[in-house]
Amino acid sequence: METPENILARLQAAFPSAKIELLPNGCPSQPPSLLLDPAFACEIATFLKNDAALRLDHATNVTGVDWPKEGYIEAVYHLFSMEKKHGPLIIRLRTANRDTAVVLPSLTPVWRSADLQEREIFDLFGIKFEGHPDLRRILMWDGFKDHPMRKDYVAPDDFEYEPTAHDDVLERAQQHFSKNA
Amino acid sequence: MSVLSDSLIEDLKKQGVLVTSIEALYNWGRSNSVWPLQFGLACCAIEMIAASMARFDLSRFGSEVFRPSPRQADLMIVSGTVTKKMAPQVVRLFNQMPDPKYVIAMGACAISGGPFKQGYNVLKGVDRFIPVDIYIPGCPPRPEALLHGLMELQKKIRAQKLTGENRAKYFDAAQPGEYPIPSFGEHDLEPSKNAALWSPAQVARKD
Amino acid sequence: MNSQPYLSLVVFAVVAAVFPLVPLILARLWFYFFAPLKPGESKNATYECGLVSEGDARIQFKAHYYLYAIVFLIFDVETIFLLPFATAFLNLSVGAVLAMLVFVLLLVEGLVWAWSKGYLEWD
Repeated sequence: METPENILARLQAAFPSAKIELLPNGCPSQPPSLLLDPAFACEIATFLKNDAALRLDHATNVTGVDWPKEGYIEAVYHLFSMEKKHGPLIIRLRTANRDTAVVLPSLTPVWRSADLQEREIFDLFGIKFEGHPDLRRILMWDGFKDHPMRKDYVAPDDFEYEPTAHDDVLERAQQHFSKNA
Repeated sequence: MSVLSDSLIEDLKKQGVLVTSIEALYNWGRSNSVWPLQFGLACCAIEMIAASMARFDLSRFGSEVFRPSPRQADLMIVSGTVTKKMAPQVVRLFNQMPDPKYVIAMGACAISGGPFKQGYNVLKGVDRFIPVDIYIPGCPPRPEALLHGLMELQKKIRAQKLTGENRAKYFDAAQPGEYPIPSFGEHDLEPSKNAALWSPAQVARKD
Repeated sequence: MNSQPYLSLVVFAVVAAVFPLVPLILARLWFYFFAPLKPGESKNATYECGLVSEGDARIQFKAHYYLYAIVFLIFDVETIFLLPFATAFLNLSVGAVLAMLVFVLLLVEGLVWAWSKGYLEWD
């Protein structure tokens, strides 16, 4: 497969008004990833899927990353090509912030396999995917309000019995006992 | 068995005379036909299936008839992680079983949440909602451990009283026949535990 | 016995009545002396899958399914005839084989008809 730098150059040529960045991965064995402009994400995804040299027709892994200090949530897509037998190309989408503007375009219309994984991100991170055919919670129940994989998620206070508590759990257990003492 | 002493019963048995009581007969029958409810929640279920197959042969203890309906089951083997989303269903199935009914909490997850105890989605032990008779530790417990747990349950059934103060709770009209089913709340199950049934064990703290 | 030809029937009826009644009476006595009844909302519920049933069980069903089921039934019955036909195939006379072939051809004709009418398509 061509290098992400190459792909970036071609994408910038094809979508001159889109803001696309190359993000280096900290690990030297991993390729850098492309940070896409959410406004153009669907077009770029379709381009990546249909481009004759790339043919990235399979999204194996879609996941979310919470960045509380930087103040955004990321959706990360790992793309492979079944036809050309190459990959992965990693693309990322970022929300504007963590509470009010958490809308990203859904790439499920492009890659069908992203369906359940985007639902999972919606459930656990709270990113709303616009254009998703069936955006419901998948692991937690429908009336659940929190997003448990966010780093600021506080688990309900049921630390009344922690026989081997340590670290965070010990702290929570001590809080529980001091509150109910 | 208050009239005849145990030694006299043994002596009679040696002479070919079997003496029994309704209680002993009833408990003997029940303990040898404990039919489990056929459902598995996670990986422990695989060990439960292995225990019911030819090598470990749960049917030696009269428990091979896994019932697909709670109406015909005597024993609920909670085999695996009980997630918060699954907990109301487990409690409802338990409620639908006819008395007398027993519960085996199989594996670390069913006992306490196990390795997922601090997870957002895992119930910290099924005994917060239903009364557990036998706890089998392990992750997962080997089929032998399940067999041992079943034998302990049989011992427990054989020792239960039909009448009197300390009779089994199934024979006591004052004891509840159903346990409250938790509902899905905004942050947790509501209530998060059955306070009448479960209270935290007192941990001796040194500080 | 000869003068009472229906005596055996009476005995049979009595046994047939006593046989289920004795366990029922025993169960009733057991309940009376030892185990109290504890009915409840979920214990008396119709469904027993653990989930609360939602919606109405009386839903509309496509009438199309009727033809589908009939066609299935016909070929289901055909297999019952085909199995003995296949096991006895080598010992059959020519006439029997021809009769069987006519039977199979009739059903095949029915299948072709249903197919051409579009009854095999479920939509």
